[in-house]
Amino acid sequence: MIYEQVAEEQLPNNDILYREGCNDLNRITYTPRLLSVDLAGTLGHLPVTGELYGNFVQRDEELLPLSTGEELEQARKRAEESGVCAPEQLEVQAQPKSAISEYQRDLLKNAVVPEKNYQLAATANSWADFLYARYHPRTLNVLPGLIRDPTAQALGTYSTGTEMWQEASFNEEFCDRIRLYVEECDGLQGFHVLFDIDDGFGGLTGKCLEHLNDEYSRASFVLPLHYPRITSYAQADSRLSHSIRVVNNVLGYHQLSEQAMMFTPLSTLETIWRNNNLKSRSLPGLQWETDNLYQTSALLAAFFDTATLSYRLRQTPESLLRFCERVTPAGRKLTAAGLALPFGLREGQDLIEFLDQSGDHALLTQLTPGCEPGTSYVVQSVTARGIPVERLKRPRELAGDQLRMAAYGCDSISHMLQLYYQCTYHGSVTNAAATPLPLKTQLPFPYEMFAAGISGGGYRLPEGAERETGSRVDSAPMLAALQNSTKLGEHLDNLHAQSHRVQLAKLQAYSNSCLERDEYDTALDQLLEFRDLYADSQYL
Amino acid sequence: MASISLLNPKAEFARASQALAINISAAKGLQDVMRSNLGPKGTVKMLVSGAGDIKITKDGNVLLHEMQIQHPTASMIARASTAQDDSTGDGTTTTEVLDKVKVPVEINKKNLVEVANTSLKTKVHPALADLLTDVCVNAVLTIASADKTKPVDLHMVELMEMQHKSDTDTQLVRGLVMDHGARHPDMPKRLENAYILTANVSLEYEKAEVNSGFFYKTAEEREAFVRAEREFIDQRVKKVIELKRSVCDGTDKTFVLINQKGIDPISLDALAKEGILALRRAKRRNMERLALACGGTAMNSFDDLQEEHLGYAGVVYEHVLGENKYTFVEDCKNPLSVTILIKGPNKHTITQIKDAIRDGLRAINNTIADKALVPGAGAFEVRAYNELVAFKDTIKGKSRLAVQAFADALLVIPKTLAVNSGYDAQDTIVKLTVEDRMSPELPVDLGVYDNYIVKKQILNSCSIIASNLLLVDEVMRAGMTSLKG
Repeated sequence: MIYEQVAEEQLPNNDILYREGCNDLNRITYTPRLLSVDLAGTLGHLPVTGELYGNFVQRDEELLPLSTGEELEQARKRAEESGVCAPEQLEVQAQPKSAISEYQRDLLKNAVVPEKNYQLAATANSWADFLYARYHPRTLNVLPGLIRDPTAQALGTYSTGTEMWQEASFNEEFCDRIRLYVEECDGLQGFHVLFDIDDGFGGLTGKCLEHLNDEYSRASFVLPLHYPRITSYAQADSRLSHSIRVVNNVLGYHQLSEQAMMFTPLSTLETIWRNNNLKSRSLPGLQWETDNLYQTSALLAAFFDTATLSYRLRQTPESLLRFCERVTPAGRKLTAAGLALPFGLREGQDLIEFLDQSGDHALLTQLTPGCEPGTSYVVQSVTARGIPVERLKRPRELAGDQLRMAAYGCDSISHMLQLYYQCTYHGSVTNAAATPLPLKTQLPFPYEMFAAGISGGGYRLPEGAERETGSRVDSAPMLAALQNSTKLGEHLDNLHAQSHRVQLAKLQAYSNSCLERDEYDTALDQLLEFRDLYADSQYL
Repeated sequence: MASISLLNPKAEFARASQALAINISAAKGLQDVMRSNLGPKGTVKMLVSGAGDIKITKDGNVLLHEMQIQHPTASMIARASTAQDDSTGDGTTTTEVLDKVKVPVEINKKNLVEVANTSLKTKVHPALADLLTDVCVNAVLTIASADKTKPVDLHMVELMEMQHKSDTDTQLVRGLVMDHGARHPDMPKRLENAYILTANVSLEYEKAEVNSGFFYKTAEEREAFVRAEREFIDQRVKKVIELKRSVCDGTDKTFVLINQKGIDPISLDALAKEGILALRRAKRRNMERLALACGGTAMNSFDDLQEEHLGYAGVVYEHVLGENKYTFVEDCKNPLSVTILIKGPNKHTITQIKDAIRDGLRAINNTIADKALVPGAGAFEVRAYNELVAFKDTIKGKSRLAVQAFADALLVIPKTLAVNSGYDAQDTIVKLTVEDRMSPELPVDLGVYDNYIVKKQILNSCSIIASNLLLVDEVMRAGMTSLKG
């Protein structure tokens, strides 16, 4: 419905991130070009092969006729027929059935009730519980021999992660899956890489980036994610856990500073290191539980989806490579994320007025922990979405006061934002892009985060007014930015300051996985050199 | 009170006989799980996970991995078995009895078939095992050097899987099968008498690395800019086309390009117009395999292309199955790399067959490396038992008991084999030991063999694990987390 009003070139080109396929039942599938690596136990009810191409047993009788899975008895018969064993010789050992969340059950039955409250924030145990997309059999990978442990990180240290990458049973298959996706691409631009940097997945990703650079040498936009919680590791108390986290971060950042084209650490927390009371960022108009992974990940995902939109539109001249280069001058690969969700536009207000009245009040809230890029000498890429062109300014005959504003001359959202930043930020370079498509915040998005003072379309209601009870916010306009400035060096300084307290010799987890002292020291030194790139305050 | 509890009151521990009991029960528990799998008549297990993932296996190593073992002792044994699977490297001590029963063999097809068959029959249904044996032996013999002196590189046997609803078949392709096809609708689907050019050269237009934009006034001008940017790639495509023309024109020969890097639609189009079949993003290892299968060399640049760089294949064709495309490169002159193509109705049966083939290939390879075999089906264990009993009489003291215990332990294997085949364990063992004592020559005529190196490794690791387990006199669990509570 929304799409009808939007010009063709402003629609996203979904074929960039998704591929069309065809399953054994000759049904067309449309799945993301995604590879995910996880611990056993995280997938919950999801079979590793995905749900679209069969090759699994549907344990739930109610869902059996709806899915591509087989019945257990039938699977057994077919296996016997194929000759892998003598008839009637196959012994079935079935583990207890995994629980499936109510939302997933309704989704599979194609009977999701939009008004129903599925309580996802309280009940979601892993991402599989609120997953909306369905995956290709290639997508999901499980690390051999590791099981998810709710109390401690099963893949604890950076070096166990690198060892995991080298594991033959994992590596060969995984690299082949990357290749198969790449083979399908006509013009491969690069890779988006998201991972947890606080645990061993940092090491795994570091090695994976090396592989991607060796084999494909394309741009990589990497987003290391920090837990919005205090993480704990096996055989470590809170103090040691902190040290392990710092060492993981040092090694991870160092590897990213060498291998990534651009990287943007994300977290909803204000700072990461020594943030014992978990002080969180706040966005006006949104409330969320600080350590709820479902809600916080939705925020980060909203940022990512919007920030990358400019090179995913149809007929855009932009590419991932150019996008990255624009905000990473002089090798400053570390960038900071800023987000405004909801955008803050009042119901009935025009963008020109909103910007005029914003004054010194910053539009964006930072999503990179411990990073405040400031307002001068900033290089940034801003993407706005969901602000309709009619709301830019009023037509000349009705304009009134707006006519006197300098921005009245701007004819597009992006143009006006550019002008706004030109005026408010000193000595800065801004690239603005805009699309009229708002962020959809229907299920499974945690719509309950929106405060009562936000309308169904995501605009701010007048003071004191509230949205009708029972109605939800369906979509919201938003702004996302990637910023770079000399002040980002502080983020690295903070990390470096933490590293003084770490006594590597005392970290049993690391001595078990043979990290050489030299290796760590080199990483730390080179990270300092990387930090020096942020030193010159006048340089753009 | 163990001293650890002074330091950490929350520590859990078990001492002396209790510790021993824990270890032994864990080992026995593992044995119970595994015993029904042993031998050709053992049962096959289908593991179904909570989410419905299916795994079919009979391989002890796979089972141990799937069970996600928590018990420390059990996981120690499990790791030893993984190590056994990973390496067939040599043990540190030679086992005397083993050397006595080792049968030196000539590396010929019959012997290899026998050892592979023994291994495969324990993994899959006999009818299928016979088929797989043939495939495995032929595969190894094709790629092995004529005098069998050089070690065989099993990576040069590619295993390719195809999921096909109604077709179950495994076959040896004397050439290469790749899991991707041409990405252009006009490219030929089948070529005969083909030159194969393998390359690692990008034929893909990448946007320039600098912040540059086009500034143009007219459509023609823009075209000119784009053309200039593309020129670089087009030059490379032209070189391939020139070579194709020079070697193929006027003959019935055709041309195939297999590239490790990408090929973009414009280059594909140019190649398709010339009737060249072009594949992009080939597996890195396939580059090596292609050179061995078809001859020729993999090129890193197109600057100096000559006919001698090209390989040759009798036929190259494409096979489409659902959303997957396969490209067969067959009828090679002297293939030193081959492909085993596994077809099965679903993923899990394919995986099971693949595992079996890997083990079969390994068994053959070990035989070639050892140039020796050990009679299988428990024959070695029975002989060792008899030798050990005789040896027991020559020594004095407590060691006599140990030797007897070790000898008895060896008999577990023939016993389990007998039970799994539906025979009475006692009857069989008595018959076997007597038979073995009566006839000193080795039972080699039945064609059931085991690998020498495998047996050697088992004997080494089992005695080490056993003595480790027995030496443990205290088991404790205490860590920083339990200390801080």
